[in-house]
Amino acid sequence: MTSSSIYLFCMVGIPLISTLFFLTLMPAGIPLDLPVAVVDQENSVTTRNIARTLDAFEQTSVYMTTPDFDKARKLMQQGKIYGIFCIPKNFSRDVARGNRPKIVCYSSYTFLVAGSFPFADMKTTALMAGLSIKKQKALAQGKTEEQLNASLQPIKIETHALGNPWQNYSIYLNNTLLPGVLQLIIFSMTVYSIGCEIKYGRAKAWLRMGKDNILLCLLGKLLPHTLVYVLVSLVMSVSMFSFASFPLACGWFPLLLAQFLLILAAQGMGVFMFSILPTLRLGLSLSSLFGMLSFSIVGFSFPVKSMNGALQGLTKVFPLRHYFLLYVDQPLNGRPMLDSWVQYVWFLGFILLPFLMMPFLKRELKTFDYIP
Amino acid sequence: MTIYLEAVGRMKKETSLRTHIKEGFTDVFYVWYAENKLIFKDQAVIILFFLLPFGYPLIYSFIYNNEVVRDAALVVVDHDDSYVSREYTRRIDASPDVKVVSVCDDEEQAKRMLDEKKAYGYLILPSTFSADMYKGKQAHASLFSDMSCLLYYKAFRMAGVDASVSLLHDLARGTKSATTDEQQAIYIDPIPYETVATFNPQNGFAGFILPAILIFIIHQSLILGVSMLGGTHREKNTLHTLVPIMRHNRGTFRIVFGKALAYFMIYILVTFWCLVVVPKLFVFPSLFDVQTLILFCIPYLFACIFLAMFISCFIPNRESPMVLLVFTSLIFLFISGISWPKEMIPWYWKAFSYLLPATPGIQGFVRINTTGALLYDVSFEYQLLWIQTAFYFILTFFAYRRQVLLSHKKELGLVSG
Repeated sequence: MTSSSIYLFCMVGIPLISTLFFLTLMPAGIPLDLPVAVVDQENSVTTRNIARTLDAFEQTSVYMTTPDFDKARKLMQQGKIYGIFCIPKNFSRDVARGNRPKIVCYSSYTFLVAGSFPFADMKTTALMAGLSIKKQKALAQGKTEEQLNASLQPIKIETHALGNPWQNYSIYLNNTLLPGVLQLIIFSMTVYSIGCEIKYGRAKAWLRMGKDNILLCLLGKLLPHTLVYVLVSLVMSVSMFSFASFPLACGWFPLLLAQFLLILAAQGMGVFMFSILPTLRLGLSLSSLFGMLSFSIVGFSFPVKSMNGALQGLTKVFPLRHYFLLYVDQPLNGRPMLDSWVQYVWFLGFILLPFLMMPFLKRELKTFDYIP
Repeated sequence: MTIYLEAVGRMKKETSLRTHIKEGFTDVFYVWYAENKLIFKDQAVIILFFLLPFGYPLIYSFIYNNEVVRDAALVVVDHDDSYVSREYTRRIDASPDVKVVSVCDDEEQAKRMLDEKKAYGYLILPSTFSADMYKGKQAHASLFSDMSCLLYYKAFRMAGVDASVSLLHDLARGTKSATTDEQQAIYIDPIPYETVATFNPQNGFAGFILPAILIFIIHQSLILGVSMLGGTHREKNTLHTLVPIMRHNRGTFRIVFGKALAYFMIYILVTFWCLVVVPKLFVFPSLFDVQTLILFCIPYLFACIFLAMFISCFIPNRESPMVLLVFTSLIFLFISGISWPKEMIPWYWKAFSYLLPATPGIQGFVRINTTGALLYDVSFEYQLLWIQTAFYFILTFFAYRRQVLLSHKKELGLVSG
């Protein structure tokens, strides 16, 4: 692999591979037919009906029905099921006698996403089993359908998931993951491209080329990168919002502006990181750490407000965090751009940050030798 | 060409079995020793081999330390303002996961609070809310949730449903005359149910994601570290090949095995830290059976090592692994099925995922650690790891053999440098 193919692979290949991967990983958007086991210790018409009800849910399918709880637990340990729905012995008899037999739903949160969908379905099934008993009684007492519904479920909650009505995971994750990959690559490639000048002893020649003006040198080196990143991010956005039809509540301009600012901010941070750690390997260690931590600290899977107080402050130094907040305001919720002025100020700060470091960087380029 | 063939012949030359074995052991030991020296002299490799696996788990534990989302902020738009609607609001507020930050009767105000991020959802109770309930009609409530964080959405929905069920029970208790409490219970709730969160009882985020990250860090730190060593070898070596010509670098098998042994011995320590000490330090669910864990980790480490050695054959220089390989962490983690369920991964990505030790590694370790699975329960993953070990050993062997031959060719001037 030659030097130029490293640049091509990292700046164009990696973001596009990631786009292809993440957009094709979750075609359905929500998980369907996740396997659970039914432990049916009675095996009567009633209990089999309940099991069928559970199986009929879109997101749950009954992998196996067995009277043996241990067998079901083993299946869970073997990773074949995500939940166990347990119907006790003498269920029908106890219902008829009014002994109130108890249904137990076990769900495995070892796999949080996979566990939580069958969990909700099992809970609803258990609730419905009780309701069907009441329904029989109510019908026998001569109640109308409307009265019946009211006594079974007096409050009906209609949920509206704003901006992502399907609760689609692909939309939820990719809007932050893909810009995150771009940010990671920009951090590293900015550090790498400056570091290589020192490593291969070209730093002084580079400075001479820029008439000893460090700003000119950096602009000459990094602006072509910016152009490539903008094109790559355009391909990314078209894939997400045109091909995959992700909802875009704000129109294209605020989205592209936000991505453009993210690119510039990440380049600024890259220059800053190399200036404070002008050894190639340490600079790259920092940029990788920073780039990878972004995904966890940005707060789209686990909210920032639930993190430790010190960490909440720290999230602000990650450009991706501000991009995420812009995304939530604009493409997701369609709020006016003025509402997010704080984020624009932060982005401006990231872009101006390297200007403070120019004199240091120049001195480093002139005096530092490559340390392996 | 003849000289080159002679060189190959020299490598293959049969000596007596005893000296062969003796030499073999000395060479393996020598390669092992030389590799150790290289590793411990190289600060950057020490960062990747030790600092990364020692530090990262601590950082992640710190980020996810609070485990669950509490008090997600909700606004209630109460157009009814009756006893029932207020009671319903109170019950939602009482749930641990949701906090009602404001009650108003203006939807616009609620939307504004969402815009200002003072709340992440609002619940509208219509003016007919209590009247419908007293009339025996179904009352409707509308929940609007911000979708920037799915955990909030889940918290709102759960709290809304739970509060309505508990309200239903209490209202039924008031309207239905029954002679005994028992009779009333039978009427209200003929089939009670119970939910149990097995293996991750707090239903916590850390208990779910950290075991996967812990085993995965070993995978990534090996790939990065070994690749960096490979790139450095190639750069320093005057012939720009992976394997320099030395007296002890005679047999490909000896080189590959000597190096793998060096990494393996170092990673016993790293693995112990990541898989045993960190879960104890942060009190994550950890139910593993010691024997199972040890037996499982052996093929996992070897599969990772040989994959890393194979990748390192393609690394052009010392720093490039840091730019070429770091992004794979995200893809490898998602493809393993820890977050997006493995049943839902399209077949082509699933097929690809079987090439990575991380996939069976994460699936197997998470179940061993969190659900207390025994070796029998992870037999699919265990076998896959041994297959991967063999597969990557063979690939590494041939890749190294090519490099050894290349070194000899270059030395003899058959190929231009």
